Formats: sequence, C-alpha cells, structure tokens
Amino acid sequence: MVKQQYVTIKGTKDGLVLRLDDKCSYTEMIAELRKKVQEDGLDGMEEVAVQVHTGNRYCNEDEVKEIICVIHESPNLRVSKVQSDVITSEECNRKIVEQQSETYVGIIRSGQVVEAEGDLVVIGDVNPNGRVVAAGSIYILGRLKGFAHAGAKGNTDAVIAASWLEATHLMIADKLEIMTDELTILSEQPEMECAYLHANGFIAIDRLQELRILRPNLSTFKGGS
Amino acid sequence: MGEAIVITSGKGGVGKTTTSANLGTALALQGKKVCLIDTDIGLRNLDVILGLENRIIYDLVDVIEGRCKVHQALVKDKRFDEGLFLLPAAQTTDKNAVTPEQMKELITELKRDYDYVLIDCPAGIEQGYKNAIAGADRAIVVTTPEISAVRDADRIIGLLEQESIEPPKLIINRIKSQLMSSGDALDVNDITTHLSIDLLGIVLDDENVISASNKGEPVVMDPANPAAIGYRNIARRILGESVPLMSLESSKQGFFGKLKAIFAR
Repeated sequence: MVKQQYVTIKGTKDGLVLRLDDKCSYTEMIAELRKKVQEDGLDGMEEVAVQVHTGNRYCNEDEVKEIICVIHESPNLRVSKVQSDVITSEECNRKIVEQQSETYVGIIRSGQVVEAEGDLVVIGDVNPNGRVVAAGSIYILGRLKGFAHAGAKGNTDAVIAASWLEATHLMIADKLEIMTDELTILSEQPEMECAYLHANGFIAIDRLQELRILRPNLSTFKGGS
Repeated sequence: MGEAIVITSGKGGVGKTTTSANLGTALALQGKKVCLIDTDIGLRNLDVILGLENRIIYDLVDVIEGRCKVHQALVKDKRFDEGLFLLPAAQTTDKNAVTPEQMKELITELKRDYDYVLIDCPAGIEQGYKNAIAGADRAIVVTTPEISAVRDADRIIGLLEQESIEPPKLIINRIKSQLMSSGDALDVNDITTHLSIDLLGIVLDDENVISASNKGEPVVMDPANPAAIGYRNIARRILGESVPLMSLESSKQGFFGKLKAIFAR
C-alpha cells in the first residue's frame, strides 16, 4: 500500500514551498515533517527560504512555533512565511472591525472622547479639550481644534485629515506633536490639511492633495476611469 | 403644566444667579407665574439678589426631608402679586443632602402650579449640577466673552447633550461692546460658531447690575437699563416671541452719536 504523503515539497523561484496536509492528525504530520526535513538530501546546499502552507488546518501560535522549530532542525532551511487558508472567526471579526470606518456625526466637545477600532470619520468639529482616538486614520469634516490620535495601536501609516487642522495636539502611533505657535505660523492656511508620520520620525503637515502620493494605500477604491 | 428651565454655565462667576433672578423677574413682569429654585446648597445667593434673604423660614433641604410642605418654604416676592416665588437653598448642609430623584419629584410637583420653574445651578459638574439638571425640560447655558468661560460652556453643553432634555440655548453675558468691536474680546459670532448652539440672547455689561443686586432689586426692573433690555428680550424669546438681537453699535453710540453719524454721511 502506498502511504499517502502528508508533506509535499515544491520548488519555486522564491525557494521551497512546504504544503502540509490538513486531513491527517497534527502529530502524524509533525512526525513526517521531521523525517522529510532530515532525510532530504539538502546537505551542501546554501540556505533556502521555505514557505509553509498549512492548507485548511488552523494552527495556533504554539503549533506554528513547533512547525518552525522542526524545519529549523535542518541547518539549510529557513522559514520565511507560514500561511494558512483559515483563520478563527474571532480574528476575522477583529480584522473586519479594524478595516471598517466608523462615523460620528456631531460636535466632540471639551471633555468628550470618541474612540474607534478602525478608521474614524467625524462630521462636525472637535472642540478644544475634545479627543478623537482611532486605530486607523482620522478624517474630520469640520474644525479639528482638540486632540487627535491616529494609529493608536501602532499603525504608523495612519493619517489625520481635517477640513481645518487647528489641533492643539496631534498623535500618530506613539509620536506626539504639540502644535506650537511655530507650527501654526508654518501652516498659515489650516484649510484642507493632513498630518502624517514622516520618514524622519516626526509628524509632518501637508496639503490634503499630497495624501494620494504620501499614502497611496489609503485609497481602497477599485476601478473607475 | 409649566416648564422647568435650568440655568447653568460650568464656570463660576459668569452670572448664573444674576441671570436667574433677572429672567425670573422679567417673566413675572410679563404676567407669568414663576418659581425660582436655588440649588446651590451651602452657598446660596439667589435670595440676596432678589432681596428676600430675611424672609426665609424653610429651605430646599427642609422640603426634601419632609420637615415642611413646599408652599411653606416658598418665599413670595411682594413686588409681584402671586407672580414670583423663591425656593431658597439650605445654607447649613452640603450638596449631597439632595439626590437627583428627589429634585425631579419636587420639580414635577412645582410645574403643576407654575408656568415657569427656573433652576439656578451651582458652578461645577458634580453633585450640585446633577441635582439641578435632573428635573429640567430645557437648559440655558450662560457664558461670558472669555476663553475660559467658553471652554467650560463647551464642556457643560457636551454633558447636557447626553441628557434627555432639549438642546441647550446660549446666553452671552457681560458683553463689553468696546472690547468686542476692537477685537480684544471674543465676539458673539466666534462664540456661537464655536459652541454651535442657538443663541438665546446677549446681555451687555453694566455697572448698575451690581448695584441693583446689592440693593436686592434685580436690574430688569429698570426698563431703560441696557442690561435690563437684554434680559427682557431673552424673557420674551422664552415666551416664544421673535425679538431681533440687540445691536452692539447703537448701544455704544447713543442717540446723539447716531444723529452725528447720519449727518456725517
């Protein structure tokens, strides 16, 4: 009887792809993976990048770690990526929340805090001492005169855009910019501006029109002419 | 069934109590039956401004704790025939002596007998404020043309918007027309766009407001006084009339100034 292969190896121009069977038990798969990695005549070759694909098997963090460990038992293999066709519904929901944009209609007044898991669109003003926080970007159709914190969970690509950018404090990821008089003078026209994290590590302010060049990935619109 | 209006500001010293006294008096002058409630327990003032200090027997806490009936505690203003009453605050306890539920009950009872129940709110956003707004149907926010007062007004409007009452209305008090037209103080437009709520009226700064308060006779009794005109206009707007906003220019120039301006053309 021909034993079914639980681990198949394919060569691509980017290195090896290890496809792990998703029907067998996890222990069987690991055992065969260990054997395969050891027996293959890979000695003498230079280091090879390996992409692991687990198919429809969900591997938790510890299992992914174990798979990587087993592959690294061979001195020539280096795991570049572990991917899977499945994610947990919890993770999926989190991703949806992170990608969606929440809309707040009204004025955010002194002492009020509005927080969003994804992007945040405010239709109204943010008054002094009012605070808007979003894990994604912040877009304000009105006057931003308070405190805005975009990329609150570390997304450094997040931006803050406002019809009137007159904030007292701007924060992107963990960088804080206090809008001093100097900056206010620099931005003589606070209309239609955006703040982003510049490559030099400081928050920069530019015209809204520059945004499509600065952050091309912000646009999710497909098609059009 | 009457209406309960709370007069609040957040910041202290912007003229909540003066506004309460004057609006109450102005509404009474219009023939309405008005009850003023001072909720600033421990720091009562409204009785002094109305000149009713020496006639207090029972107070708000006595009513709440059942030591007397509501009508026993109400102090009648003798200048008006059954038109203006005051429920004074207690001076010997603190603001925690009353709960919002008790206030609500009391105000519902008073609304049955009065056209307007005006609630004078203490400064701050703590217990006293919560008690004051508990029974209110509408709110009036008082501010002055100062950034600090406007910031606090913004905060209080934010808190009021979370309550189940009508959107608050704004009164800008103590306007010094010279300062405002020279740009040294915030102007009416700046304040209303910043706070973005409806403007109920403006009141000019006037020395007589203080002297009238000291005499225990609200300034609104003097029909010629510019501050009194402001308060009377606000009272008429509360009653539903549409009264144009007082112009700052004319009040500054005076009659002869206007005459001069006509000939100077």
